[in-house]
Amino acid sequence: MKLSSVDLYLDWPVSIKLNNLREFIIANLKKEGDVIRWSIVGIQNSIDSFGTKKLKIKAVLAN
Amino acid sequence: MDISPTIFIVPTGIGCEVGGFAGDALPTAKLLASASGCLITHPNVMNGGTLSEKDKNIFYVEGYSLDRLAKGEIALKRVKQQKIGIIFDSAIESKILIRHLQVADACVSTLGINVHSYVVTKKPLNIVFDSDSSEMSSGIIENPDTLIDSGKCLIEKGVTAIAIVAKFPDDSDSFDTNIYREGKGVDPISGVEAVISHLISKSLKVPCAHAPALNPIELNENLDPRAAAEEIGYTFLPSVLIGLSNAPDIVELPAKHELISLHPDQIESIVVPNGALGGEAVLAGIEKGLNIISVKNQNTLKVTNEFYDYPNLFEVNNYLEAAGIILAIKKGINLNSIKRPLKKIKNFTVSD
Repeated sequence: MKLSSVDLYLDWPVSIKLNNLREFIIANLKKEGDVIRWSIVGIQNSIDSFGTKKLKIKAVLAN
Repeated sequence: MDISPTIFIVPTGIGCEVGGFAGDALPTAKLLASASGCLITHPNVMNGGTLSEKDKNIFYVEGYSLDRLAKGEIALKRVKQQKIGIIFDSAIESKILIRHLQVADACVSTLGINVHSYVVTKKPLNIVFDSDSSEMSSGIIENPDTLIDSGKCLIEKGVTAIAIVAKFPDDSDSFDTNIYREGKGVDPISGVEAVISHLISKSLKVPCAHAPALNPIELNENLDPRAAAEEIGYTFLPSVLIGLSNAPDIVELPAKHELISLHPDQIESIVVPNGALGGEAVLAGIEKGLNIISVKNQNTLKVTNEFYDYPNLFEVNNYLEAAGIILAIKKGINLNSIKRPLKKIKNFTVSD
């Protein structure tokens, strides 16, 4: 097993409700590896007219 | 039921004004435990180096397992005593290792804790810090398998809870360490500590906690009181052993035949610093409609309810107010009844 620290930048579209945000993030992190630790460390409001928010996630993943 | 089970989180490595240092959220945890009658919190809230305390109303649960509890994947079972094993990083110098072993002996002889055995990892864990810890301190270990293999060895010998002691780079003169000791900035090592304990929780599903092994550092006359608990002795192991001594067992759900002391469905609230709403436990709590009590507690993050608009969130100025909210929730008192001005009740019209 090898660990890596990653910063993941994700667009959070309005179609993803707050109640599904956690699963949305995990699904994206799992594309990169097995999730050991993660947290949203940055968030910015609407970057476009669709209300998309920009997320910064800090994570430690295992491969 | 005269308890209101509450999760209390002070995220590791984000420089929280309360709880970002050496067990300096422990008095707050005791307050919230008293108000709720049942508090679930993680080791870095309770661990003050040499200092710690047990409280019958507090469940001591490592962060990864605490997230799983919030997600409803596990329950907790009270135990009278855990049989603790210790994993020592093979990079620890022999004199420092002896200091730690003497701490373990002292916890057996003076506190009556069941410290059963220890193992030294086959390879050094090799800690690597992230270069950028401006938002959250983090990092990795280069040899995670050696850590997990050591844990498996202890479990096979009958151990039920694991303390881990990893050797951290000797950076006592670093800028980050010095400003941390003076009450500013982020605890530079806590992020990697979380990764180490998360690995054990994830792989072995037992109670666990981590204490760093550090060389003694020079006296600092400007030491902040919140960091003082880490300057008392040679090791930070006592608080970990005290916390683990009766930490609850992890019960995988669904559980048919296990006695459960706390089921995740019983949890009513999560207390978290304002700005730190981006963790997994908080998001899982939001999914379940739990009360989120967001407390002003200065830190490096700005993930606030402005971005979520979650209706069941209470913003309060300090933990004394948070305790009041928990008491009101526990007693079923409408919070609006306490506040002024008091609005008249709504009038709805029946539609056809």
